[in-house]
Amino acid sequence: MSIHEIRVGQKERDTKGEGVFHEAQRTVGASGLEKVVTTRVYRLEGTDEAGAEKLAKKLFAEQIDQVHTINKPLITDAQNVIEVAYKPGVMNPEAASILKAAKDLGVNLTAADSSTEYGFYGTLKIDEINKIVSRLLVNKTVERIIDKKPKTLIIEGKSGGVRIVSIRDALEEQLADLSKDKLFLDSQEMQVIQSYFKKIDRDPTDCELEIIAARWSEHCGHKTFKAKVIVDGVEKPPLYTRIKETAKKYFGNFVLSAFEDNSGVVKFYDEQAINGKVETHNSPSAVEPYGGAMTGSGGVFRDPQETGQGAKVIISTDMFCFASPDLNPNRLPQGTLHPDYLQRRVVAGVRDYGNRMGIPTNNGSVHYHEDFRAKPTVIVGAYGILPENRVQKGKPHIGDLVVVIGGRTGRDGLHGATFSSGEMTDRTIDVNSSAVQIGNAIEEKRAFDALLEARDENLIRALTDCGAAGFSSAIGELAEDVGATVDISKAPLKYPGLKVWEIWLSESQERMVAAIDPSNIEKFMKIFKKYNVEATVLGKFDGSNRLKVAYGDEVAADLDYDFLKYGLPQRAMKAHWEKPHFEKKEPDSPTDWVDTLKKVLSHGNVCSKEPIVRQYDHGVQGTNALPPFTGKEFDGPNDSVVITPILGKPYGMVVSHGMNPILNKIDPYWGSIWATAEAMANYVAVGGDPDEAALINNYIWPFPDKQEMGSLDKSVDAVVDCMNALGRPVVSGKDSLSSTYRGKDGQIIKIPPVLAISVFGRIPDVKKTVTSDIKKEGSLLYIVGRLSSDMGGSTFYDINGIVGNEVPKVDLKLLPKVLRRMHEAIKSGEILACHDVSEGGIIGSIAEMTFGGNCGVEIKLHIAFNGAPERFLFNETAGTFVVEVEDDKTANKMFSGLPYIQLGKTTRDKKINVKVGSNDLFSVSTDELKQVWKKPLKTIFG
Amino acid sequence: MKEKLQPKVLVLKTDGINCDEEMKFAFGKAQGNSEIVHVNELRSKDKKLSDYKILGLPGGFSYGDDVRSGKILAIELTAYLGDKINDFINHGGLILGICNGFQVLIRTGLLPFGTMGGMQATLSNNDSGKFECRSVNLKITDKNACVFLKDIEGKIVSYPVAHGEGKFFAREKKLEKIENEKLVVFRYVDSLDNPTQQYPDNPNGSLNAIAGICDPTGKILGLMPHPERAVEETQYPNWRRQRIMNKPIEPEGLPIFKRMVNYVNQM
Repeated sequence: MSIHEIRVGQKERDTKGEGVFHEAQRTVGASGLEKVVTTRVYRLEGTDEAGAEKLAKKLFAEQIDQVHTINKPLITDAQNVIEVAYKPGVMNPEAASILKAAKDLGVNLTAADSSTEYGFYGTLKIDEINKIVSRLLVNKTVERIIDKKPKTLIIEGKSGGVRIVSIRDALEEQLADLSKDKLFLDSQEMQVIQSYFKKIDRDPTDCELEIIAARWSEHCGHKTFKAKVIVDGVEKPPLYTRIKETAKKYFGNFVLSAFEDNSGVVKFYDEQAINGKVETHNSPSAVEPYGGAMTGSGGVFRDPQETGQGAKVIISTDMFCFASPDLNPNRLPQGTLHPDYLQRRVVAGVRDYGNRMGIPTNNGSVHYHEDFRAKPTVIVGAYGILPENRVQKGKPHIGDLVVVIGGRTGRDGLHGATFSSGEMTDRTIDVNSSAVQIGNAIEEKRAFDALLEARDENLIRALTDCGAAGFSSAIGELAEDVGATVDISKAPLKYPGLKVWEIWLSESQERMVAAIDPSNIEKFMKIFKKYNVEATVLGKFDGSNRLKVAYGDEVAADLDYDFLKYGLPQRAMKAHWEKPHFEKKEPDSPTDWVDTLKKVLSHGNVCSKEPIVRQYDHGVQGTNALPPFTGKEFDGPNDSVVITPILGKPYGMVVSHGMNPILNKIDPYWGSIWATAEAMANYVAVGGDPDEAALINNYIWPFPDKQEMGSLDKSVDAVVDCMNALGRPVVSGKDSLSSTYRGKDGQIIKIPPVLAISVFGRIPDVKKTVTSDIKKEGSLLYIVGRLSSDMGGSTFYDINGIVGNEVPKVDLKLLPKVLRRMHEAIKSGEILACHDVSEGGIIGSIAEMTFGGNCGVEIKLHIAFNGAPERFLFNETAGTFVVEVEDDKTANKMFSGLPYIQLGKTTRDKKINVKVGSNDLFSVSTDELKQVWKKPLKTIFG
Repeated sequence: MKEKLQPKVLVLKTDGINCDEEMKFAFGKAQGNSEIVHVNELRSKDKKLSDYKILGLPGGFSYGDDVRSGKILAIELTAYLGDKINDFINHGGLILGICNGFQVLIRTGLLPFGTMGGMQATLSNNDSGKFECRSVNLKITDKNACVFLKDIEGKIVSYPVAHGEGKFFAREKKLEKIENEKLVVFRYVDSLDNPTQQYPDNPNGSLNAIAGICDPTGKILGLMPHPERAVEETQYPNWRRQRIMNKPIEPEGLPIFKRMVNYVNQM
């Protein structure tokens, strides 16, 4: 049967074409380009021309504002027409919807696909077109250019097939070859595997080797965090042990589950609990930012969802690090993508997945540093709510069924677990492109809906998510105390032709595995059918203490759990941190204060992120009680999010984060203290209770050589010290230790070490929270908390081209007291506005507060600052706050006993006036500053 | 008696619908007895539309908004519920479509002229070319055809929008007909309360600043902004400012749900 093609174009505005035109001009500078016109192309298989015509009119083209053609071109007069489609095997989520709607219209199709044509008008040189296509339109990892009509849309092939790999007689270099680009294990680990199979007197199957490699990968096994650490010759406990043992001291009865499930869980109100998880998705985002960010979001949503017997996901957060979008393309290391493209595509991925899921994205940040050009950092967090009595995960009983739920299995994401544990090299994009896919949020959304109904019907014994290493980790982990037998020929596939190990290891998204009591299976299946979600029994938990995988009659794996669980040798990692020395230089006092302030406010780390944030739906679920921007013109930024997860109840959940990678490059200990203090300050600044908070730590670190192991050791010590000082525990975390780039020419780039600290917790009444926008004229501003005199790594240093050697040191002893007093003050209702101090310094915080208030402020610094007012104004000590209060009596009552300084008075006149003693330092219009602060991302995102 | 006071509200769900719980909450707060029902339960006849007084089509991305927003669900409803929806209206039922629900109503043809199966207007990509989430001000138009908002005509209300495909568009003649028959119920307005084409007050470039319309019976209402996200004081971005100014916010979305419930109660 032949394929029919329907092309649909716009009669009115073609906003997609306009967008490509604008981007082409901005990034490629194609001056001969006059316009870009797009059409959608739908290909249908299994119907005749009459069927195609019916679908064209009823489904694909709306006559009011669209035109269409059948089996002939629509763009006929362009200089060039280029059609971009997903590669075969990359699932196009739209295809299933087309099949469904066609059936509803009485037309049965066997297959369908959709793609986009771009018509370029004007006089473009061929290399300009190529640049537009490669930089803006086609990501070769998942897409391709179609130059002739395909004969069929159906992928043929035969699945199955197990290969025996002879490793018993392999030489060391043969083992190394096997590991490279595939298993990513070290030589000691390869030898352990070899001797195991020698001992049991057989060679492994390809599937078995992949199971072991995935289970023992850095991504799943966290070998570095569990390794012995030898610091300057002295052994210290593993990093993981230090965090966990300290955290336990502060669980109290607040923490309900930590370090044992897919997320950390703490108490909420009304017998409900809240949970949180933060993940990174750097490697996939580096090669396919849109798909990588999507699957990052999809993956992290499944973690809280698949906690206990299932939670409802209620918040999403995202933190990104890129090189500056205006990076000179010549500075790009080979095999990497430009940060401008990365940033736009990552934002689009987070937007499209989160918005479709109906999960509000309401907290995040973007950080820029040139060293992220080798690999971006993409951190995504997700938080949920579940009844307290569903927090504990059941264990599968012998006889329970292994049920896979959700999406089908394809060749997507193979080697994701081992790939993300490997380093980025100039070959990464070519070799590992199969490790990325496009997510399908709707598949995940309906599976979540079905799971929550099944949970409430009490049908789920145990549940986990198919993340890295797919079935292998999901079934492998669920079965590890009982054993399981599964037949994966039963697994629904996206298309035929997969080898057994590919099915078993595939990281196709939107899949989960549940253990279901056979007596519940009928009810369970009925619910999933109602929600249009596939659920399939693959086998059962059998009490064998072995992992047995078959494909029909063919044995693919039969492994002893004892070896999988305990076979991995513990590593011993040497650590020695050598303090780096940056040029010893202090910036001069600004000669043009207004210009300096503008440079700070337009710095990437300080400027307004509103053009990104507004693309995310932060109001869905109706729970948002503190949006990212408030104030007279809805553009004053807030420090954290507050939501009311139970509609109609006053209970609040507060979520914040803190990070500043550049500080860790200078000093990992104090940089990590800074990140924790900032996270807590953000949390408290809106009304969070510092004594009802839980922490999540995420390490994104360069490859742990001796130096980086040393810096990691310092950073973990810092987190431990923070837990002890604050009396608050870490309840979840993750590490990704592959931030080193190695190029062909020997170029090595270490990405700045990132510690992201997230904080979440509860407050009984959201009415007792506060925003950053200044509320009144004639009220007073104060700075509360102790300032460090150091400014290494600050924005002010950066605009002067200086790194610095000493970063701001937070007074850890005082910090908890400041946080508690701030919380009490906010609770009392007498704080009109509050903003924490971070990148951009004290004056940056003040400026942002005037932006929200649409007002001005008169600042009077004490004469003592005469020496160097810039060290005060641009000071970035975390854990300090700028607050607005009615009068000095109120301030004295609130803050006596703490370091606090009056800054000045708010004014209706929209100006920032700064005086030192009685001398005018500078005066500038806040409208002018606001414009400068908004410009950088507005240019990129419109 | 209770049945009378709490009319049954069907909040329709399917793959990708994600504003169902807040819509259920809003109708509940307005004393409706609301229930989330999956479209498959209607198709399989486990549930019957005729058992309800109000049909709510919530926001989200039904079937991923594939092809065009709300398209696939609109085809499904037309194919399986066409007659039942007409009966539902003729028997005094009311329909509310918000955001994706509005897109569905437009694509079934129920809005603007109640011509199921034939579209007379459309909702297309925002002029800005992107999805956007922000607060907007709306005017409930004077003397519109909607049967249940009579006492709040002329009011200015503030609701959030969160969509990428919300530009209301119709050919000139149809647009005239829509205006002549007073089918426009909500328009985007500027700070002086005048209908506006200016971005971002008009967030998508809708013709005639149209944010929401009803059908000629006045019983089917659809709008892009989200009144169900404006039923609690704390859902407003600046509720703290308003409190400090001693002008606490009265949630302006709730009256829509209350009036729908009252209307069906009086029938």
